[in-house]
Amino acid sequence: MSFKEALESGKFVVTAEVGPPKGTDIAVMKHDMELLKGKLDAVNVTDNQSAVMRICSLAVCKLALEHGLEPILQMTCRDRNRIGLQSDLLGASVLGIHNVLCMTGDHVSAGDQKSARPVYDIESVQLLQVVNGLNNGKDMSGADLKGATSFFQGAVVTPESNPIEPQLMKFEKKVKAGARFFQTQAIYNIDKFKEFMAFARKFPVKILAGLVVLKSAGMANFLNNFVPGIKVPQELIDEMKAAGKEKALDTGLNITARHIKQLKEEKICDGVHIMAIGMEDKVPTILERAGLL
Amino acid sequence: MIITKKKDRGKLLQTLDKYNSFYLIGCSECAALCGTGNDEALKEMAGDLQAKGKTVTGMIIPKTGCQTLGTKVELKKDKEALDNTDCIVVMSCGAGTQSAVEIYPDKAVYPSNDSLFLGNMTRFQMFDERCSLCGDCVIEKTGSICPVTNCPKGILNGPCGGMKDGNCEVSADIKCAWVRIYERQKKLGELDKMEEIIPAKDWSAKQGPHKLYTRGDKEAAGDSKKSKEKKEK
Ligand code: SF4
Ligand code: SF4
Repeated sequence: MSFKEALESGKFVVTAEVGPPKGTDIAVMKHDMELLKGKLDAVNVTDNQSAVMRICSLAVCKLALEHGLEPILQMTCRDRNRIGLQSDLLGASVLGIHNVLCMTGDHVSAGDQKSARPVYDIESVQLLQVVNGLNNGKDMSGADLKGATSFFQGAVVTPESNPIEPQLMKFEKKVKAGARFFQTQAIYNIDKFKEFMAFARKFPVKILAGLVVLKSAGMANFLNNFVPGIKVPQELIDEMKAAGKEKALDTGLNITARHIKQLKEEKICDGVHIMAIGMEDKVPTILERAGLL
Repeated sequence: MIITKKKDRGKLLQTLDKYNSFYLIGCSECAALCGTGNDEALKEMAGDLQAKGKTVTGMIIPKTGCQTLGTKVELKKDKEALDNTDCIVVMSCGAGTQSAVEIYPDKAVYPSNDSLFLGNMTRFQMFDERCSLCGDCVIEKTGSICPVTNCPKGILNGPCGGMKDGNCEVSADIKCAWVRIYERQKKLGELDKMEEIIPAKDWSAKQGPHKLYTRGDKEAAGDSKKSKEKKEK
């Protein structure tokens, strides 16, 4: 069953993230992909995440396919103008990559090529419209394509954004622009997430809750202080602290597993998106503990 | 106004070293307000050149350096000094510098400033960018706050995920343009405007070099026919 079919069938889906390496040595990534094979509904491949230059998402999506994983091509508007974006989308389509996550992309000032000229010819909402157009056999200037794409297109949303209203308005725009599924920024407070879901359920889209594994109490504080749209509640920080250094990671894995269980059992959302950030090999452990394997 | 900044003086003097005599042209508009082309700036430059053993044959602060025709008339008055000069240093924006090139096509002309942006002077010698001359103004849809310029990503449809507590992902010193737009439209009871998707921009309007003739007489009409039709829109 494809990722799209799984979501549409009402199955609780699981996706995770793979970050392409910086360089041509892909041994570790291949190993992770082998580990994840058969355990996920799809795998996201990040697109020069945090504006740090790495292997392109398109190439790694193809590698994922070869390793038996269904890829979600993450696409940002930072590095390519509308010609480049559409051309890469057509390329993805003929390579058998049919899921795309449309994002504006972190600014170059955050990355490792700070003198680059950022592009942002279009942004996330408009990119969704472009994908919609390609699916209908039209390019951005309205010309007919020789063969349309059949993308299942998604977008991101930050349920803990502050202020939240303009973020929710943008969410609605993304739905209007054709988004079929959303993967959220990391959430840690399930009760607060339920409030967002009460809003999101008004729209005909599937929502995957984003989960980032906590490695330590320090990491939780870092997320709170420096990462926009992430709020780790105090009781989770306390739980991590209480675990002590040795058991911290294990506790972090348990928390993620516990959240997955709750989200699934209470039917809060349609699935989860696990961002293990360098610990892709731990994803099977999380799924086991969540009772999903 | 056009915001300019002085180039590194040491490097500039190195570039100019092969010339012996100089004529300085400032500008009484933007460059004067920026402190890069006013009387003081010109005197300082003259001093720096003289300290290197160079001759300064004269200097002028034309009314508007980018007004080529008017500047040409003003320079005529100082013809002799200009004729006796190897090199003209223009202390305005890049446009003023190129006025001098047009007036003196056979002479060396160098800029002393970097032109940075079109800005508003919000307080004395404090400049903020508000418009990047995109050629296709959208701010009637955004509460007359420009997202093309005030958002580092030029996002046209709401804040990005990097917005943190109302501040911009790129720098906590600036407020997210989309939070400003949201707050303003909310205050004015015009939030419905924010629900509308703004389509991708037509960047062809930004393609230079631009030409625009608003004279409407025969000469101008003849000229504008030569320029592309889209420029007339
Ligand atoms: S949209 Fe912004 S950059 Fe474009 S003309 Fe209007 S104010 Fe200037
Ligand atoms: S935080 Fe706001 S102003 Fe900054 S890049 Fe994102 S949308 Fe633009």
